Amino acid sequence: MNQTDRANRRSSLFAWALALPMPIWQTLFFVAALLFLVVMSFWSVQNFRVTPDFTFDNWIKIYSAGYFRVTYVRTVLYALLAATLASLIAFPCAYGLAFKASPLMRRIVVASLIMPYFTSYLVRANSWKILLTDQGVINSVLGTVGLGPLPMTSNLFAVMIGYLTLILPIVILLQYFSLANVDRRLIEAAHNLRCGRVRTVFQVIIPSARTGLILAATFAFILSFGDFVSPSFLGNNKPPTLTVLMVDAVKSGSQWPRAAVVALTMVATLLLVAFLAMNFAYGEKRKRP
Amino acid sequence: MKADRIISLAFKAYIWLALLFVFAPILTSFVFSFDANKFAAIPWGGFSTKWYAEAFADPEIAKSLRNTVIVALSSSILATLIGFTAAYTDYRYDFFGKRVYLALAFIPPTIPVIILGVAMLVLLGRIGLSGQLHSVIIAHVVYSLPFAMALIRLRLSQMNKDLEAAAWNLGASQWRALKEIIIPFCLPAIFSALFLTKAVSFDEYAIAWFVSGFNETLPVRILILLQREVSPKVNAIGSLVFIVSMTLVMLAQIVFLMREPGSGKGKRI
Amino acid sequence: MAEPLLVLDGVVKRYDDHTAVHKIDLEIAAGEFIALMGPSGCGKTTTLRMIAGLEAPSEGEIRLRGRRMNDVAPWERDTPLVWQSLALFPFMSVLKNVEFGLKMRNIPAAERTKKAMPWLERVGIAKYRDRKVDQLSGGERQRVALARALVTEPEILLLDEPLSALDAHLVIRMQAELKQLQQQLGITFCYVTHSQSEAFAMADRVAIMAEGRLQQVGPPREVYRAPANRFVAEFVGANNLLSGKVKSIAQGIVMVETAAGIMRARENPLLALLPSDMVTVVVSADRAVVSDSAADGENSLSGTVIGEQFVGAFVTLHLDLGDGRTFRAQLQQHALEPLGQVRGKRLSLRWKPEHTVLLKDK
Repeated sequence: MNQTDRANRRSSLFAWALALPMPIWQTLFFVAALLFLVVMSFWSVQNFRVTPDFTFDNWIKIYSAGYFRVTYVRTVLYALLAATLASLIAFPCAYGLAFKASPLMRRIVVASLIMPYFTSYLVRANSWKILLTDQGVINSVLGTVGLGPLPMTSNLFAVMIGYLTLILPIVILLQYFSLANVDRRLIEAAHNLRCGRVRTVFQVIIPSARTGLILAATFAFILSFGDFVSPSFLGNNKPPTLTVLMVDAVKSGSQWPRAAVVALTMVATLLLVAFLAMNFAYGEKRKRP
Repeated sequence: MKADRIISLAFKAYIWLALLFVFAPILTSFVFSFDANKFAAIPWGGFSTKWYAEAFADPEIAKSLRNTVIVALSSSILATLIGFTAAYTDYRYDFFGKRVYLALAFIPPTIPVIILGVAMLVLLGRIGLSGQLHSVIIAHVVYSLPFAMALIRLRLSQMNKDLEAAAWNLGASQWRALKEIIIPFCLPAIFSALFLTKAVSFDEYAIAWFVSGFNETLPVRILILLQREVSPKVNAIGSLVFIVSMTLVMLAQIVFLMREPGSGKGKRI
Repeated sequence: MAEPLLVLDGVVKRYDDHTAVHKIDLEIAAGEFIALMGPSGCGKTTTLRMIAGLEAPSEGEIRLRGRRMNDVAPWERDTPLVWQSLALFPFMSVLKNVEFGLKMRNIPAAERTKKAMPWLERVGIAKYRDRKVDQLSGGERQRVALARALVTEPEILLLDEPLSALDAHLVIRMQAELKQLQQQLGITFCYVTHSQSEAFAMADRVAIMAEGRLQQVGPPREVYRAPANRFVAEFVGANNLLSGKVKSIAQGIVMVETAAGIMRARENPLLALLPSDMVTVVVSADRAVVSDSAADGENSLSGTVIGEQFVGAFVTLHLDLGDGRTFRAQLQQHALEPLGQVRGKRLSLRWKPEHTVLLKDK
């Protein structure tokens, strides 16, 4: 019996020692941070100092402000537009990779699509500025053929270019992975049943890869929704998105509690979107026999 | 069939076009980092390395680079260590609340970095840990730990499940088996995780921007430069950062691919 | 008398959703070669893992040399296992693999090598000592696994289907070598297998398991000639089973009425049969004598040959008894020659009462 106890205690010490560091770290510094954000949203600012309090002031002020509501809707629409554009632009690419490219080309393209995530997004956004301004590279080229200059910065076009820079590679990759998993026999069966090329794409391939395609679009939405660099540098903060409002509230005032309200609103929105998207992606499947 | 070949060619051309879009900004920053003109435009102002020279001479940049290296080294070691223990726990044990356990690890990267930055600032500021290099390290561990965990977990799933039990059977205690069997087996993934988390930390600007205070890291320095002025120095730094990051990623890839031959398939003949 | 080396005393293993082992009682003597045999999922591997301490019994007790082992950690036991997957450490050389158990016992490096080398030589892999294990063939790896388990000189060696990944011709050779090794070392081998030929080729005793229960334990010959129940009769060898009802018992002979006629068998007093008991008549395929004369009366059947299977010098005939059932008869090829072309032919079968085994139906 003595031996039992000793062995058990020793093995549970082992299990705990390995299991606990991660949850302790993430609870202390991540869960606590999010929870504290909730707490802080009820605090007040007095004489430019954040003071513990329990007031709904921040929530009421933010939610009743017209510019916040407009900005909220704008940010959601921007992210939706970016996700849609990215999904549409990426699909032929992912399809070509999955069904037309050679294995070597596939490997090269997949590696090339991962690479941008290890470069500075800030620097890439700055490069777009170089390319897109009125005196920029693209307008210079257009000028030589007597066109332009076309306004391509500080507008929706520029912001979308920024978003696409951030999300297009990952959308292509996720779409490609889901298309690559489509059972080839299904496609052959469809052709065999006289289903044409284009119809096969819509009738067989897209439904089969549906979960992955929705996942990719969701990722695109989440990343664009939370992006600060593109609306700030390429859109020149006009008109602002939620991230711009939040950064302003933190950096140029000490309005931390209001920033907390904006941040929490964003987190809630993202959770809702993720939940809806997952339901949409997996829900239909469950119904099928 | 001729139609098939044309369709296939069209798809390939489209793919290269998409890659052009993805690489255009990277190439642009590289090309204009060598441009003698301050305002990047066509025609090119002639070849010059003066922006690199300026970047190297800038004491702020040197300081932020040193900070970045300290942060990347410390946070990658911590993230890999914690990621390893969590990956092993996921591999070995089944327990009540495991989904919550995994969510705790994998949710942070899905939350926008700007929001993480604000949340970290608010918390660390309150408990007096903000504005220091270790604040950035703490936050980067939260954010990069799941990447390390995922890599090591992947490696563990390639291991013959009997190996660890075989070590126990031959007299190795659990700690001993961890040291003699599990860690050596995971070594390639551990190195990959170190490189990957280093690269993640090396490029992260948003969280660092909020919590670093005056101890800026290099990405934060770039952000500040971009907000302040037009400076091709950014292109020079960006190109250097790209090369460093790519080297780290390649190293990670090479080490991961150099895993023991046959270890995954060892049980078959 | 002293207790046997290893005792399983009412051992039960339950998982959340099912019971893998139901109350097993088994005694294993020092120096014997015992095979645990049964179809997959019968609980034989779980039993072996409990002996090694990798699973804890839910009930009952496992004793090694009289010491209760239930709560002893696997690393504190001396019950090395040869794994079905071999579980060789892929990043270590052959020598390091074999030395592992010694290293865990904190034996200094020089002494480890001195102890390990004779084992490498004994199993014939000394020349590969510095190779990585994935540079070896299947048979060579098998030997590494064996040497690794034996290097600590245990009293008992556990083997979990160690030959299942080998080519057929290697299996026969390894069987002979394993048996020889066991006899030279004089230690206990506890060998889990689903293969009857493997168990019968090596074991002093076989323990047959099905659905978590021990069905029969005994020397191979006894299990083969006197199966204890229907499961064993069907699992072991090539037996023919006929259902019937006891008609009479007289002078040590039991008369059984079956669909194929009256069968006579020697009476087994242990069964305590009474008239009108339901029984199963078991006839081993190699006990039936085949001829082309007509069937006559008792312990005789006739059927049409629907298939022939040749294995070496033996042939197994499949005969259709006319009511959908088939009967298997095994004979030497030369005994078949006088009958000429047999496929489709009607042949008769005949066997002696003493070669007829009766099982009481439950």
